[in-house]
This record gives sequence, structure tokens and C-alpha cells, in this order.
Amino acid sequence: MEILEIQNLTKIYKDGTTALRDISFNVKKGEFAIIIGSSGAGKSTILRSINRLVQPTSGSILFQNKEITTSSKGELRKIRREMGMIFQGFHLIKRVSVLKNVLHGRLGYMNSFKGAIGAFSKEDEEAAWSLLERVGLTDQAYKRAGELSGGQQQRVAIARALAQKPALILADEPIASLDPTTSETIMNYLYQICHEDGITCIVNLHQVEVAKRYATRILGVQQGTIIFDGSATELSDSEIQHIYQKKLVV
Amino acid sequence: MKPSINHIQKRKKIQTILIIGLFALFLSWSLIDTGFNVPKLLNGIGETFRFIFIDMFPPNLSSLKGFMGPALDTVYMSFVAMVISAISAFFLSFIAAYNLTPHPTLQYAVRGLASFLQSIPALVWVLVLVAAYGLGLIAGTIALTLSGTGLLTRSFAEILEEIDMGPVEAVQSTGASWIQVIGQAVVPQVLPGMVGWSLYKFDLNIREAAVIGMVGGGGIGFAMQRSLSLFQYKDAFMAILLIFTLIIGIEYLTNKVRMRLL
Repeated sequence: MEILEIQNLTKIYKDGTTALRDISFNVKKGEFAIIIGSSGAGKSTILRSINRLVQPTSGSILFQNKEITTSSKGELRKIRREMGMIFQGFHLIKRVSVLKNVLHGRLGYMNSFKGAIGAFSKEDEEAAWSLLERVGLTDQAYKRAGELSGGQQQRVAIARALAQKPALILADEPIASLDPTTSETIMNYLYQICHEDGITCIVNLHQVEVAKRYATRILGVQQGTIIFDGSATELSDSEIQHIYQKKLVV
Repeated sequence: MKPSINHIQKRKKIQTILIIGLFALFLSWSLIDTGFNVPKLLNGIGETFRFIFIDMFPPNLSSLKGFMGPALDTVYMSFVAMVISAISAFFLSFIAAYNLTPHPTLQYAVRGLASFLQSIPALVWVLVLVAAYGLGLIAGTIALTLSGTGLLTRSFAEILEEIDMGPVEAVQSTGASWIQVIGQAVVPQVLPGMVGWSLYKFDLNIREAAVIGMVGGGGIGFAMQRSLSLFQYKDAFMAILLIFTLIIGIEYLTNKVRMRLL
């Protein structure tokens, strides 16, 4: 069953850069898809179009059969709360407790005013605690998020995404600012949790080796177009070279 | 054709001489116009010391009791003005910050208003307001509130413009509404800075309140002005000491709180 159907997606930024050229691909429920490609290839733009942090120039994105690109503000809120997003820079509120940061995942389900003043329900709070247990951070719950190490912060970010009870997780370079050991821990958490909970996941990655270990499917992006779409075993060295090769400007 | 090195050096020299010459000209002109000269200065020093040590010294300690009420009035006036201006500035600053404003036109309008309020000293506001509200604390409080709203709106907006937009985007992508993003992602980032600025403004208010009082804004400044005009210089000196203590005390307190916040 398709959870995401992207068709003829194009994004041209205000400064005239074409980030995506007529991209089409589908993602099935339960896939752990990894997008690889060099910096500036358009990986981030793909993910950010899916939850509309970026407004696509043209094309269509169907998420669980609902059109994203033209949805109203209210509809967009409902779509976004079903997609967790994980960032390279963790993007937690540093001054606020770890627990509060996880609870932010519930905002999309709350009354606007209650959410604004942070009046979270008992059930949400209990759920947040059990999520912290899952990522092994219960003893840090009352610390400020900014006091944690990079790897711990990314685990909080994963818990925040899970608090949304998402159908899809978008991870934009989740391990790019972490050391190799920590990177492995984070990828293991992400993979395992998505697998256990049946969450579909799309990850942007730089590291081809890591991609090959976890991906159920790999997409290779170059200059705003998909030039590879297949399994890890199908991704040969020459394909990798092709993806990371700089096209000569003619 | 390129000018030779010699030519460039010469031009630079002429420029330097011209700037120094203009500076000297303006300084001597200003000195002549203000009638500033050393003998006069020395004469005045003698007179100043005579006034302080003979007319004003020692301070009349028994007048302290009478000044305590007005001194407290000054503190209340400064505090109320700070709180009101901080609250209005809090709401205005979201419109005045370019990264959060609902509309660029509104941003310019609020910025303009804040600059206008800030550029007019509270002292001038009092002179205007005394005509409408009469002499007293209310005129002083409004004056401090107006200038404070200007200052705080501008500084709050600058704090807002420096926030990290990454976490804001992250909270946005959980499906949070605008007001939730402001409440949960923006306010926690900016609150310590805003409180710090407000306390600094409280500190400034105390200083200004002393002067404002003298032109009719009430409080300790007003009481001191009265003693001065009645030639009770020893009483006035007591008031000056009290103002000094007040300023030092409040500055110490606000600094303590700000240190803990930041």
C-alpha cells in the first residue's frame, strides 16, 4: 500500500535555483527508504516539501491519499502531526526540559491555546515518560535539553517525533553532526523503532555505507533528479560514483 | 592612466590635515561660544566647593523621614512604568521583528512608533504631560511608560530577530499552530533576554525619575526641587544622598537578578 505518492515535483527557489526537476516516486507503508546524493543535490528539499516547510513550485504529493501541496492551514496541521521530522541540528528548545521537548510532539493534537501555554494532559505526559524510557533517557527528563550531548539530543528528537504517533518519519541528515559510534546508536534506534511500530521512514544520508546497511530501498539524487532507485544490493560502485559525480557545466 | 604612488600618498596626507583642521576649528568655535576658559573654570570650582561644603554640608538628617515617602513614590513610579511598558513592548515586538511580523508594513509602522517614543526623552514627555495631567506622579509614570515602551519594543524585537529558527521550524513541523509555536518555541528562547532588558529599564527609570521629578513628575526629585527653591540646601543634600543610595541599591539588585537569569 502506498503511503506517499509524489508526482512531477518541481521546486525553483526565489533566487532562481532549481532544486528539484520533475521528480516522481512512491513510498510503500513500512519502507525504510534512504536518499543519498551530494550536498545541494536536492535531498533536503524533497523531505521539506513532504511536510511543506518548503512550498513546491509544481507537482503533487499525496500522503495517505490526501493532497499536501494545496491543503489549507488547518488541513496542513493535521497532515504534519502524522509526520515526525528529525533534523541534523536536533533543533530542540535548549532552555526547556527534555520532557517538555518530547511533549511538543503532542501540540498538533491539542487545543491551540492549551498548547501555547503548555498545559499538556496527564495521558500525554505519561506517554512522554514511556517514550523517554524507550530511548533510554528517563534520568535526564528534567534536565534542560541544551545540557545533553549531541547523541542524547537526537534521541530526544526521536522521542518528540514518536510522540506525534506518526505514520511517517522524515529524517534530514540525522547523523551528520555526530561521531561514528553515536551515529550507529542513532541509526539503530531509528531503524528499530520504525520497524517495531510499523512507521514508514525516509532518511537523507551522506554516508553510503550506512545507507547500504539499513535501507530497504535507496534513492540516488543528483542535481534535482532521481537517477537511482533500487535495493542496497543493486547499488553498485559504479552507480555510487555516478550519483556523486559532478556534472560538467557545458 | 593610474595615479602614481606619490600622488596617492599626497592626497591621503591632505585628507588627514583637512580632517584635523576641521576638528580644531569646530572645537575652538564651540569653546568661544560656550565662554569656556581656564580662569573662569577655576573661579567656578571655588564657588562650587563653597556651595557644597558650606551651604549644603552637612546633610540635614532629620529631613530624611520626610523624604522617605517621595523616595518610595519614585520606586513605585519606576516599577509600574517598567511593567506596563514591558507588557506593551512584549506584544508590539512580535509585530516589529522582521522574522515573525504578520506583515512588513505593520513592522515598519510599529518600528517607527517605537523609535519616535524612544527618541523623545522622558523629560520632554513630562513637560508635555504636566499640561494635561497636572504636576505629580501620574505625569511622571506616563512619561516613563511612553519612553520605556519605545526602548523595550526595539530591544525585544532585536532579541526576537536573533532567535534560532531551527527549533521554531521543528515545532512547526509537529503540526503546532502559530500561537503554539510562539508560546512553546519562541518565548522560551527570548524570555530571559526580555526580563533582563526590563530590569535594566527599571534601573534607568530610577535615574530618570529623579530628574523627571524636578520638572513636575513627582517623587523624590520633586521633593528635592522644593527644598532647593526654599534655599534649604542641607535638606536638598539629604535628598541627593538618598537618590544616590536608591540608584546604587536598585542597580545592585537588578544586576543580581540579571546575572542569575542569563
